[in-house]
Amino acid sequence: MATVTLINVAKRFGAFEVVHGADIDIADGEFVVFVGPSGCGKSTLLRMIAGLEDISGGEIAIGGKVVNDVEPADRGIAMVFQSYALYPHMSVEQNLSFGLRMTGNPKADTDRRVKRAAEILRISELMDRRPRKLSGGQRQRVAIGRAIVREPQVFLFDEPLSNLDAELRVQMRVEISRLHKELGATMIYVTHDQTEAMTLADRIVVLRGGHVEQIGRPLDLYENPDNIFVAGFVGSPKMNFIKAHIVGRDARGVVVELAGEKKTRIRQPLTDAAPEPGRKVIVGVRPEHFGDAGEGDADLAVAIDVVEHLGGTSFLYARTANGEDVVIQRDAAKVPDTPAVTVSIRKSYLFDEKGLRLR
Amino acid sequence: MRNRNATAYRFLTPYLLIFAIFWVWPIISSFLISFQATRTVPWRFAPGFNWGRLIGDPAFFNALKNTLLILVIQVPVMIALAMVMAVLLNSPLLKARGLYRFAFFAPVVVGEVAYSAVFRLMFSLDFGIVNKLLNSIGLPKVDWFSNVTPAMALIMIAVTWRWAGYNAIILLAGMQSIPEDVYEAATLDRVSKLKQFFHITLPLLKPVIVFCAVLSIIGTMQLFTEPFLITERGGPGGGTETLGLLLYRQGFRSLNFGYASAVAYTMAGLAIAITLVQLWLMREPK
Repeated sequence: MATVTLINVAKRFGAFEVVHGADIDIADGEFVVFVGPSGCGKSTLLRMIAGLEDISGGEIAIGGKVVNDVEPADRGIAMVFQSYALYPHMSVEQNLSFGLRMTGNPKADTDRRVKRAAEILRISELMDRRPRKLSGGQRQRVAIGRAIVREPQVFLFDEPLSNLDAELRVQMRVEISRLHKELGATMIYVTHDQTEAMTLADRIVVLRGGHVEQIGRPLDLYENPDNIFVAGFVGSPKMNFIKAHIVGRDARGVVVELAGEKKTRIRQPLTDAAPEPGRKVIVGVRPEHFGDAGEGDADLAVAIDVVEHLGGTSFLYARTANGEDVVIQRDAAKVPDTPAVTVSIRKSYLFDEKGLRLR
Repeated sequence: MRNRNATAYRFLTPYLLIFAIFWVWPIISSFLISFQATRTVPWRFAPGFNWGRLIGDPAFFNALKNTLLILVIQVPVMIALAMVMAVLLNSPLLKARGLYRFAFFAPVVVGEVAYSAVFRLMFSLDFGIVNKLLNSIGLPKVDWFSNVTPAMALIMIAVTWRWAGYNAIILLAGMQSIPEDVYEAATLDRVSKLKQFFHITLPLLKPVIVFCAVLSIIGTMQLFTEPFLITERGGPGGGTETLGLLLYRQGFRSLNFGYASAVAYTMAGLAIAITLVQLWLMREPK
């Protein structure tokens, strides 16, 4: 097992920079998830760690050893690809043992490793099958098995579940989590799915446009986002953002009034320098942080457009008097009958005009 | 539905008629002709006349031997060469890829007569560049057109030059359909490029290689242009006469259409038989 350290790692394709100086420290045995929307550079970053992409600047160290110029095979990593990348003409057993056989690993050791991987992943009965005779989930297991037999210091997963259906994704998510516990290996996992990130990660690295937006434990990112992007990306449904402006400030914080809602004023304690009255800000409220009228800091009248019933919970898609769309989470039993309803804001976040968090 | 089909068939009728007259009928007709003695007037039905002659005809066995010899040596060499060309074309290190692709493919579109004339010049005993090159490295001149072995080699070189690029382009298309991440996975598995080629590229290209081999077998069974134009009608002394040339000689020089048809059907039968054996040998394990 090993640590992985990225110092100011950059990637340029010609004049186009896709990763802008990423600094990430991954501890031994940690499960870190790179998450972000398409094109944010998360897969590129992973491929740079694997050595499948050259790095344009900075330094990558695995187990304390700089690997910038080390061949992919010598980095002590194993990778699970989004497309599984199984050898279609080989059986499961041959897929698992191929790398070891080609490098002259002793047969007894190869057999032992293949058997162990097959047992861990419960694919022992599939060993004679070709990949095309396997289901998506089984293929994914074989792909993971191929990584396990290498006994690497670091596992890299590149969106491994995105080709699976929703149910299988949940199942495999649990299996990967179990695998991490069982192997205790350092794992780096790339996904665009924030649910996967939240459920799997010890720590999440949120990326956007090649920049690291925030690094933190899942609940830290949820509860304490650094900016509007992270706030919106982490949590499902995403946080509501409502335009507002500062109407007063004192030593302990500011008073914010939602745009077009003269009666909805929220007091926000701030330790940083508070912006001047009149400055535009954005108030972020998570769907689950709306309560019944009178319960929270301020009340807000909304008109409900659509209600989504998910069983125990419902989501109300509503609109404020100022025309801002908001999503409100409610217990199914508490869904109002009338379209016009007043809710309270129990907890909110404040962001400046550039989207940075005001704390 | 039946009405709609009838309408569709009415639209297809002109094509089907032309297909039947100029495609199906000649195939049937030539088969029937192979059972007739066509050196008499009128032709008469004599099933054993042509087919019986075939079995005992030294010219047929000479042509068959030459054709099979070219097939056995030239087709594997050409496909191996095409594979090398395809690997080179597929290399990310290669600059001016489009130019090479064009250059490799160009022989297919060059006129047969023009390329044969150039080959005759290049391999000419006294003026040819090939003999000059051989001389320059201390090897003796080769009389490519007067001796059987060099003449056969010349035919094989010419056919290989003409079709290797064509096969390389087909193999290249096959190679490019192999997903890149399979190679990346092998690279991470510490598998060398050479082993990747033999253990991943070749097995995954098998269907494409079979396709190229089948096309080449059919083409070689019909080989005509090169022995006709380069080694002057199968010379020296029938040393490069192929089945295609024998068919031509019998059909269009001696006007013995019955025997020519029998030869044509033998060629087709052999091509099918060899192709079936090939497909059976290269079949996917269950």
